[in-house]
Amino acid sequence: MLRKFTSILLAVLVAIGIFVPTVLAEEKITLTVLNYFDLTSPGAERELEEVWREFSRRNPNIIVEREDLFLDAFHQKVEAYAAADRLPDVVYMWPGGRSTSLHTLGLVKDLRPLLGDDAQYFIPAVLAPQAGGYLAELPQTMTSSHALYINVPLLESLGLSIPETYEELVAMVPVIKGAGLDVILMGAQDDWVIQSCLFSMIVGRLVGDEKLYEIIRGDAKFTDPEFVGALEFYAQMYKDGVLDRKIMNINYSEINGLFAAGRAPFMVDGDWKTANFLTDVTTGEALIPVDKQPDFKMTIFPAIPGEINKKSSSGVVGVGFGMNAKIPDGSAKEAAAWELIKWLQGPEVQKMRLETAGTIPSRIDVTSDKLEPLVLERIRYYEDIEVYTEVLDNALEGEVYLPLNVGLQEIGLGLATPMEVAERVQEALESWRAKK
Amino acid sequence: MKRFLAWWTEERRAYLLLVLPGVLVYWAVMAFPTVFSLGLSLTNYNGGVIFGNPNIQFVGLKHYLRMFEDRYFWISLKNNGLIMAISVFGQIPLGFLFAYVIHRKLIKFGDFFQTIIYLPCVISTIVVGRLWQSFFSPYGPFTKFMQRFQPGWENELAYDPQRAIIPVLFVILWMYTGTYMIIFLANLQKIDPSLIEAARIDGATEWQVLTKIILPALSGVIVTACILAISGSLKSFDLVYAMTGGNPARRTSVLALYMYDTAFRHSPNYPLANSISVFMVLVSFALIVLVRVTEARFGGREE
Repeated sequence: MLRKFTSILLAVLVAIGIFVPTVLAEEKITLTVLNYFDLTSPGAERELEEVWREFSRRNPNIIVEREDLFLDAFHQKVEAYAAADRLPDVVYMWPGGRSTSLHTLGLVKDLRPLLGDDAQYFIPAVLAPQAGGYLAELPQTMTSSHALYINVPLLESLGLSIPETYEELVAMVPVIKGAGLDVILMGAQDDWVIQSCLFSMIVGRLVGDEKLYEIIRGDAKFTDPEFVGALEFYAQMYKDGVLDRKIMNINYSEINGLFAAGRAPFMVDGDWKTANFLTDVTTGEALIPVDKQPDFKMTIFPAIPGEINKKSSSGVVGVGFGMNAKIPDGSAKEAAAWELIKWLQGPEVQKMRLETAGTIPSRIDVTSDKLEPLVLERIRYYEDIEVYTEVLDNALEGEVYLPLNVGLQEIGLGLATPMEVAERVQEALESWRAKK
Repeated sequence: MKRFLAWWTEERRAYLLLVLPGVLVYWAVMAFPTVFSLGLSLTNYNGGVIFGNPNIQFVGLKHYLRMFEDRYFWISLKNNGLIMAISVFGQIPLGFLFAYVIHRKLIKFGDFFQTIIYLPCVISTIVVGRLWQSFFSPYGPFTKFMQRFQPGWENELAYDPQRAIIPVLFVILWMYTGTYMIIFLANLQKIDPSLIEAARIDGATEWQVLTKIILPALSGVIVTACILAISGSLKSFDLVYAMTGGNPARRTSVLALYMYDTAFRHSPNYPLANSISVFMVLVSFALIVLVRVTEARFGGREE
């Protein structure tokens, strides 16, 4: 009897031993992932280990089949997958720009419903609708294309303090120039710099995104008083001596050394510029040494007369991962894909990216004790910004913003009037719309 | 068949074997793209599939007309003209002068000067561009140097739209004169020295030696140098790109840079870019024919 019972028990155990793993194995979910990844970058091994292998360790039931591509090879593959209707489950993408087709054709899901209460951990601006009108990818970072960098001791040595309004800034011009310094440094030889780092912010303040979208849709024009007014304000900055024509002959990287050496108390650039001042890990040298870094502050441009958005800056959200729209809602696969996307923008991964690449986290709960003062200042700078507005070369098509880029230089050089530039941009917009 | 076999001799086979690879490569990378670009410039093709794409339409000279209406095209063309002028009327005479002075030993340390003048040619163009960009920068050594003599001097040279091309022209002159000097020097060395000596004994002056013996002997080389200078100045891109990027406000742009901007920066406009490149090829051809005609008419006295 006992022997019979034992053999039955054994048989049952064997059966369980055979079937259960099979059943469990069937519950394993395979995710295909198209990742944008430079395998030769210094942080690559750390990323593979701490991001991808760690995810597999934590989620043994999710099998990730990852394809790593970089630069054009990546973009071509995405286009090919999209054309063949074989988009991977999770795909790396941009909030607009080169990923526009994924957004506008609705090939990826709206992630907002999946995000739920976790939204509280993100900077609100990064969750704004993207090119397709919804949250198609969960951004890993946020970039402000405008920041006013201030050399505080230099400013104070002139008996000045950080200006709150544009008028205060104008009043400082004679003092600063009298000391043989320049007022605002910009490396604006390349024509995108003024548009991206300064004028987008001005448009955000004086025109606003609503009006900008109206212009793009055709319900308003670039030649309307608001936009022309923004160009006129920009032209006024040269007349007031706040900007100098010579910025258009300064190379984009040339200003790094000039600003670090105290050639001017102010510099206008994107927030990414901080990276140029940090310690180079290979040489241990820095344009602004760690002990001097607390002398430099970042803030937004002072209040502009007539602004409709206060304390605003122009910004774009960064890249992130989106989810194939074909995955059924509420399915186990959706849960698995979301688990991965959530992990990729989770605090551990963002902390690693912050430490290895200085990527500003899109989450508010990420920090690290391994950061230089200027990186901390860059993170703090986001507290100054109350409103984010569009960066024009992100919101407009290339052939529309190109005449603007060149036109802004022409205004500075006195070769064109604000109205002429507005007319050219409007013309470019209309011809682009006609082609569409 | 018989006729074919008679024609298909070993000699001909060997000839084809030797010539064909070169011809094929030339056609594949030079002639075919040029002709193809001409074809594409007459269509609305703007990226994507080329063959079997139903959306490609023939649009005639539309893009050429658009190109002629674009003021940046004329600015670029004018700059190309200036570069050509400085190449033909600056680099070549100066190159010849240096070569002549060194060859005739009118100065001491000829080898030293030869090396110094040729040196810029061996430095990467990008490095040269960046170097001179910082030299002419409003914060660069040139400004500081001028301010020594004239305190408060403002370096408007590089951002005054009318004069911004001058530093570029200067650098082009500085950089490429050495090439022509080497070409002339090599050819001067081929002239029989006894000829010059005989002329000197007969009482010819240095000027007469130059105009009656040396210049006629070099006329073919001068034509070659002109062709090099013209084609070189039409395709000039790297130096301008590194030095100014075509700015401020595209006032230092050249045709190649204008084409590059149109094709690869911001939103691509391939039809317009194709039109520009075809225009560049045509201008290049026309100018080289012009030089050839001039040479046939006035030159060819090297015998």
